[in-house]
Amino acid sequence: MTKEKKKDNIMDLIKSPYMRSFLRKYWLSYLLGIFFLIAIDFAQTRIPVYIGSVIDSLDAASLSTAELTHDVVAIALIAVGIVLGRIIWRYFIFGTARKIERDIRNDLFSHLEGLSLNYYQQHKTGEIMAYITNDLEAVRQAMGQGIMMVCDVICLLIFILSSMLSLVSVSLTIYSVLPLAVIAVVTGLLGPRLFKKFFARQKAFAEISDFVQEDISGIKVIKAFVQQEKEIDSFDKINQNYFSKNMSLTKTRAMMDPIMTLIAGLAFVVAVIYGGYLALNTQISVGDFTVFIQYLGMLVWPMIAVGMSINMITMGSASLKRIEDVLEAKFDITDEPTASEVENFCGSIKVDNLTFSYPEKDMPALKNISFEIQEGQTLGIVGKTGSGKTTLTNLLVRIYDCEKGSIFVSGKDIREMPLKQLRSNIGYVTQDNFLFSDTIKNNIDFVNENASMDKITEAAEFSCVNDNIVEFPDGYETVIGEKGVTLSGGQKQRVSISRAYIIEPKILIMDDSLSAVDTDTEERILKNLKEKRNGKTNIIIAHRLSALQHADKIIVIDNGEIIEHGNHKTLLQQKGLYYSLYKKQQLEKMINEEE
Amino acid sequence: MSGDTSKIKLTKKTTRRLLQYAKPYFGLFLVAFLAIAILIGLSLYQPILLGEATDVIVDNAGSFTQEIFMQIVIIGLKYLACVLLTFGISYLQSMMLAYIGQKVIYKIRLDVFKHLHKLDISFFNNNPIGRLVTRATNDVETLSELYSSVIVTLVRSVGTLIGIVITMLTFNLELSLITFTTIPVIIVITVIFTNILMKNWSSIRSKISSLNAFVSEHVSGMKIIQIFTAEKKTYNKFTAKTEELRKSHMKQIVTHSVYGPSIYLLNILATVLLIIFGSKMYMAGAITIGTIVTFQRYIGRFFDPIQEFAEQLNVIQSSKVSAQRIFGLLDEQSSIVEKEDAIELDDIKGEIEFKNVWFAYKDEDWILKDVSFKIEAGQSVAFVGATGAGKTTIQNLIGRYYDIQKGEILLDGINIKDIKIDSLRIKIGQMLQDVFLFTGDIESNIRLKNEEIGQDELIASAKYVNADSFISKMKLQYKEPVLEGGTSLSAGQRQLISFARTLAYKPRILILDEATANIDTETELLIQDALKKIMEGRTTLIVAHRLSTIQNCDNIIVMHKGKIVEQGNHQQLLKQKGIYFKLYKLQYENSEN
Repeated sequence: MTKEKKKDNIMDLIKSPYMRSFLRKYWLSYLLGIFFLIAIDFAQTRIPVYIGSVIDSLDAASLSTAELTHDVVAIALIAVGIVLGRIIWRYFIFGTARKIERDIRNDLFSHLEGLSLNYYQQHKTGEIMAYITNDLEAVRQAMGQGIMMVCDVICLLIFILSSMLSLVSVSLTIYSVLPLAVIAVVTGLLGPRLFKKFFARQKAFAEISDFVQEDISGIKVIKAFVQQEKEIDSFDKINQNYFSKNMSLTKTRAMMDPIMTLIAGLAFVVAVIYGGYLALNTQISVGDFTVFIQYLGMLVWPMIAVGMSINMITMGSASLKRIEDVLEAKFDITDEPTASEVENFCGSIKVDNLTFSYPEKDMPALKNISFEIQEGQTLGIVGKTGSGKTTLTNLLVRIYDCEKGSIFVSGKDIREMPLKQLRSNIGYVTQDNFLFSDTIKNNIDFVNENASMDKITEAAEFSCVNDNIVEFPDGYETVIGEKGVTLSGGQKQRVSISRAYIIEPKILIMDDSLSAVDTDTEERILKNLKEKRNGKTNIIIAHRLSALQHADKIIVIDNGEIIEHGNHKTLLQQKGLYYSLYKKQQLEKMINEEE
Repeated sequence: MSGDTSKIKLTKKTTRRLLQYAKPYFGLFLVAFLAIAILIGLSLYQPILLGEATDVIVDNAGSFTQEIFMQIVIIGLKYLACVLLTFGISYLQSMMLAYIGQKVIYKIRLDVFKHLHKLDISFFNNNPIGRLVTRATNDVETLSELYSSVIVTLVRSVGTLIGIVITMLTFNLELSLITFTTIPVIIVITVIFTNILMKNWSSIRSKISSLNAFVSEHVSGMKIIQIFTAEKKTYNKFTAKTEELRKSHMKQIVTHSVYGPSIYLLNILATVLLIIFGSKMYMAGAITIGTIVTFQRYIGRFFDPIQEFAEQLNVIQSSKVSAQRIFGLLDEQSSIVEKEDAIELDDIKGEIEFKNVWFAYKDEDWILKDVSFKIEAGQSVAFVGATGAGKTTIQNLIGRYYDIQKGEILLDGINIKDIKIDSLRIKIGQMLQDVFLFTGDIESNIRLKNEEIGQDELIASAKYVNADSFISKMKLQYKEPVLEGGTSLSAGQRQLISFARTLAYKPRILILDEATANIDTETELLIQDALKKIMEGRTTLIVAHRLSTIQNCDNIIVMHKGKIVEQGNHQQLLKQKGIYFKLYKLQYENSEN
């Protein structure tokens, strides 16, 4: 999907209906925050006035204790007010930005849960993470500090400038403030340049990252061909490139503060010379002169903030667009509007002339698949790697969608059934045995997280993994995954089986779920399957024929088509692929038993 | 590794090593410090000028003369000079420090990369790629701020504060001391708040880390969540985490909200003290109004240094962690050590012998048990056996990618441990099952980065191994881009490129782990033919999966559970009706038409 390169508009952030919904939700907090912000900015401009009046009185030698006390108390009161006000507006404005951040994060996650496997294959995890972290951060900064700065700048400018104009002198104001206006222009100009250099540096950084990643991946080749020196030389070039891009960025960045200070300094020079001139001519008082100097000092920050806030809001706009892209991604797999639940769901499956191709692939992965199993039967599926077995079960559970009228469960087209009903009645043990970084208990009780220990233990015993679990020091409370214990391949498989078993699904699918267990354990699990899941449907996909020998029906898939079907006895008699597989596995057994 | 990084102390050793990297730039540092000293001086002088201007005005208000105005103008020009000098010097100083910082991390990054290439394969097997990439990129980056801003900001903050204190004291002892009473309070408040902020910051960082890990994991496992209809439950877990994070952030906001204004309040307090006592002293004739103005501008400057100092502590924190990680990596040693007197090999005949070799990847989990065999120069041997029998392991040992625990491996009668590692490996052409291709083009994958392989040689190599035919059919032929590990090429094509690459390096010994992936018949024939050609005259060891490959070899070694159980050629072994016979029936009999 190509995007047209539109110039990021600052107003996009505010124009976005999504962002507006937040502004509506939190309008009161923002209002309160901004109100106090304005009040404080105003209060801040009063303090120099009191200081100036003291100075004038001193100069006129007419400072009375009463007046001094009055002015000092005024300053103190204003200061306390400012402190309280600051606490309040920070709480409201920054606090709201954090609330918005939390809300957007939740929305993103919720939306991600609805996206199909197709989306995840086209978008790398790293990319998605960037949205939830970097982009969200930029939006939060824009909605917090960005908004704050904009209001702050506008208010301060209005209050200070009007004070300067009315209290002191129009001409002095104009001459001194002019240089400051240049600051705003400079930040505006330097901004885009800074962006460009910043992105150039990010790109150089990514190059380093990619190079290191690839070298490590291919370390064997590099060692085998003794390429180390050459790789180091190539890396050096990229390293140097990063150095120069960084220096280039720094040149521009290091410019910014000094230029601001220079311009501010120039403003002071003008103020001293021209202000001094006016003061000598008693057009302004000494007190006014000092007030003016203080105001000038207070103006520097707003000028700098103009540039900063423009940058912040621009980046926030761009990030918001990216986030909205994710939020607007369509849900491929959804409930039809006409979907209706089945009463008395039963685990019968009928596949009728199913043909399926993956999106954007020409060759069909499955061709004219037809079979039927009754509730309570066990179906075995066997075939070479890539023949289409997993594709079939993926379609059953609607990870991908097949055409309507191809697959019926409990007598109803699965496309006409609510997704929730279909999936909650199917327990799918996937090939990859993905478990979460959590306790074993929570992994088994994954769906509901409210089962009793008895049920959990029973599920573990079903897949013959309970004995292993109790040997861990923390038993079922053992945390597995990156931060915890690493389970062996076989243990992972069996825990995955427990996870599917515990919900007592009408249909249980085991995709190559017995490959990592030894033959004894396999036998025991199959026995459990027969006893505990009597009356419920089971589908077993396996390479090892011993796993599905006792199935009621077996289908052999090759190149997306069913080439043989029957049961173990009839298939052996057919002397086809199943038969030759069987013989091979017998031989393998013999070889492995040799000492 | 515990997640609580706040307890990691900057050990003396780490600090020393960090300073080592900065050593070449000590001169520049000194110049930068000098510049900072000048800048501090300039910044302290400016308020004095303002004070002087104020005094001129006070003394002469109402009596405008050219001379008096000139005094003001001169003050103004002095101020301008300060401003311009400040501009120039501070820009130069920033650039100097940035230069130092960047140079230092350039060196550190290069050292890390060089060191990675010294480590052995088992290290890479035990460390996820992602972590190593982070070491070389993000962790190093974190250190740049240490050199470019931390050191300098610390010096500047302390310098400024000292400068202000001294200057104010020279103006008026009494007034200065009065206003200084606020300084200890500022420091105490800053220390308290910084502590709270850092603790909270640490908590926030770990919550963010945990949140990101949650998202990352659940995105990877989204399929599981969906097929078990666990969306709602997972969402609730997630929102609980985001709310927790927000609360931590609110704590931070509130803490900041109280801290900043508290400092501001102290600022005002100091100003108030200044006004009260300053007024008294002015009326007593002890000071001028200008002094009051100057002091007022100085008071505003107490607080920045202290706050900047506190902010740097945060940077130091993250730098500590990164430095520890980087140096940890640089301290790793390879377990494959080259002897001091290792010899360089010139030409070799290519005779390989294994004498009573025992090998285990881990502890005493023996993969090879007392393996002995001899391969004459130029002979070809096929290794067969069930999965896990030890065939691939033997291949890894000849190039000394792992060291054996017992026994000897000899090349031309010399123990490979006595040979220089690079010299050994370059003589061996090793072709793995999964051919790794680099991002680039076909050409760069054949010659890698060896410029000594000319274009003609390269193409000749490709032609010889039958790779040229499919390469010439591509749009850009040899310049056809290869992306992302070469997934756009078929397994057969990748195998042929691997042959071409190996041949271009003219090895005396060939080691091949035959690909088992489905390869189309046409390419299959090309591969078999190419194999026959490159095997000629070279000692060849093949983990074979194709019957034709096996039959073309001079000798077959049959492995079973780490031991050699049978040896001989194809016919001899079939007659024995042992394991080879069974394997033949199992794997090879029907696999080829």
